[in-house]
Amino acid sequence: MHANDVSILATAVGPHLFWITSRAAGIAALVLASLSVCVGLLMGGRLLRAHRPDLRVAHEALSLATLAALVVHGLTLLGDGYLHPSLGDIAVPFLSGYKTFWTSLGIVAFWALLVLGLSYYARSRIGVQRWRKLHRFAALAWILGLAHSLGEGTDAGQAWFLAMIAIVAVPALGLLLARLRRGASVSAPSSRAADQAPVRQPSIAQ
Amino acid sequence: MRRRARRIRRAVVGLAVALFAATFLVVYVQLASGHDPALVANAAKRRAASPSVTSTEASAAESSTATSTRSEASTGSEESSSGASAVTTSQS
Repeated sequence: MHANDVSILATAVGPHLFWITSRAAGIAALVLASLSVCVGLLMGGRLLRAHRPDLRVAHEALSLATLAALVVHGLTLLGDGYLHPSLGDIAVPFLSGYKTFWTSLGIVAFWALLVLGLSYYARSRIGVQRWRKLHRFAALAWILGLAHSLGEGTDAGQAWFLAMIAIVAVPALGLLLARLRRGASVSAPSSRAADQAPVRQPSIAQ
Repeated sequence: MRRRARRIRRAVVGLAVALFAATFLVVYVQLASGHDPALVANAAKRRAASPSVTSTEASAAESSTATSTRSEASTGSEESSSGASAVTTSQS
């Protein structure tokens, strides 16, 4: 490829840089969130007992990376010359005129993930038992994010995108379903005993 | 233990950055080569709207990196978005 071709490509794509960045950050956020849900469910379901502290660190890091990617996903849209969204459009549900339902779904998912994720650092104030119950809704927020990407994502129909998401989302959905099925049969006293564990123990499990 | 945790955090940050860079590259190449889903859909719509364009002209326009107005606004925000023509890229 000649230098001239490269410059033509750069010129052609230049106006869309914010859009491309937002798309890439959104996809990265979805993959990271799916991985985080997988790790969280593996911990919470006590499927991997051997490396629980490692899993807790990985779950926390993946969650924070997801939030960072989501912030990039939203903020870069502000620079998009096509949509010209305001801060309200990307932060307040049902305000944007662009694909209102799917956009709002994404905004709700982001706020839910932010609140539920960061509440980990205030779990001693909230109460571990209450926090655990609350933290279960993070999986619901992840599903909302998944629906947002499939409903509104520009690349939602692309084979590479679907394959990329399927690799991480299908195992997470499988683990979630297994957890929900098993959760119904878990007896109340055993979960109550687990909730009385010290706060510094690996307790980010859902 | 602390070193192990730091290693895991670094691995996650590396994974996140690599994931973002790879996705960015895929989307960039897709867009630059004229295969972006939003732009292709728009090109097809314009082709359908102007039947006078010959098929060879239309396919040339579709594969060209110069034709790049997005089609997403067709779902309702076209009226509100005044900058639709502003993103038409220039190619000399």
